[in-house]
Amino acid sequence: MFRFINLILLSVLVSAVNAQAQGKYPGIGRAATPAEIKAWDIDVRPDFTGLPPGSGSVAKGQLVWEAKCASCHGTFGESNEVFTPIVGGTTADDIKAGRVKALQEPMARTTFMKVSSISTLWDYVNRAMPWNAPKSLSTDEVYASLAYMLNLANIVPADFVLSEKTMGDVQARLPNRNGKVKYEGLWNIRGKGDVQNVACMRDCKIEIGLASVLPDFAQGTHGNLAEQQRHIGPARGIDTGKRVQVPANSATVSLTKSGGEAMLNLARDGNCTACHQIDKRLLGPSFQEIAAKYKADNGAESRLSEKVKTGGSGVWGAIPMPPSALRDEDIRALVRWILSGAPER
Amino acid sequence: MADPMKIRASVMGDKVVVKVLMAHEMETGQRKDSAGKTVPAWFIQNVIATHNGKTVLSAQWGPAVSKNPFLEFRFSGGKAGEKVVVTWTDNKGDKRSDEATIS
Repeated sequence: MFRFINLILLSVLVSAVNAQAQGKYPGIGRAATPAEIKAWDIDVRPDFTGLPPGSGSVAKGQLVWEAKCASCHGTFGESNEVFTPIVGGTTADDIKAGRVKALQEPMARTTFMKVSSISTLWDYVNRAMPWNAPKSLSTDEVYASLAYMLNLANIVPADFVLSEKTMGDVQARLPNRNGKVKYEGLWNIRGKGDVQNVACMRDCKIEIGLASVLPDFAQGTHGNLAEQQRHIGPARGIDTGKRVQVPANSATVSLTKSGGEAMLNLARDGNCTACHQIDKRLLGPSFQEIAAKYKADNGAESRLSEKVKTGGSGVWGAIPMPPSALRDEDIRALVRWILSGAPER
Repeated sequence: MADPMKIRASVMGDKVVVKVLMAHEMETGQRKDSAGKTVPAWFIQNVIATHNGKTVLSAQWGPAVSKNPFLEFRFSGGKAGEKVVVTWTDNKGDKRSDEATIS
């Protein structure tokens, strides 16, 4: 936001440089007149710079309120239908402490629970209210309506008159006046930051989440996505080239290694281990859980093989298992190994 | 003594419109506090509004009414300058009476 003093300076200079400016950018705009700047510069700051003189009583505010504000905000500023309530949630203790206690609880927040500078309310009412006719209130009407709100919130007595002189008194009684904090890290480049997160360097908890699945028909339609990533930052593309690049000798490799290690490698190749672990439940059940469930089921091997091949969901939870890209005989071997309890050898 | 009610009464046509905002906890008796103990029921049971000594509204409330209840009603026969008195009684026997001048 421009500083007011700069604007005055600007308007003084503008006439001097006007001819020059027009010479530089012919036909583009014109200098703002002092009257235009005055009409535009209506902001009121927390130190009450820019606050125009005027006054309004609570009683007059009630008339303004009933006529122009109550239809949306309710007679007592309590309405929660169009906007959140203006009044409520503050106590006499809050006014003493300058900090609203109810803010620490998970409850709806009203304007007077949150606002920490009365100038903000004055400015907002002045520039934006009523909703359907902003800036239509006179200065005294803004003071009066604000006085009425303050009375509803039990901040000022019923015979109070709000003016540019009493605004400071109100600020000193605002329930959440001490509620604003200035995190140094946000405005001082040498200040201490407002977060204390430390990057995990060792023994970090690994969380794996299945966010989305590339459907079968889309595999490889744009080439191998994994090879199209920049080699900085986290890798984003999955290996979609796998289906056409299954090594012809993978089964023989499994056979030569044999036992659990080879099977685990196979499960890793088939992206099974992203969701399944041998003994721990991740997104999907552990291999041991599966073995326990189908222990007495003779038809389990062929059924589960089919399920791994085509994908499925619903048995262990809602998270779906995508179809596997592994070869049929590999799937069968893998299922057999899982059903035998996923032994290490 | 409970906090005062806020009452507005104004003439609209041939009727008087009264709006009341009461300050009351209105505990249902169903809620539990953080320690797991039931918060005892505490709510307004009777509301009576009088105009010139004559009852214009009488209501029996239960625990289903919200905290800090808002009440609006109309009655005929009132004139500007006269007084409306609203009284509530809660289940603990606490009572509160406030009046407003019809405008």
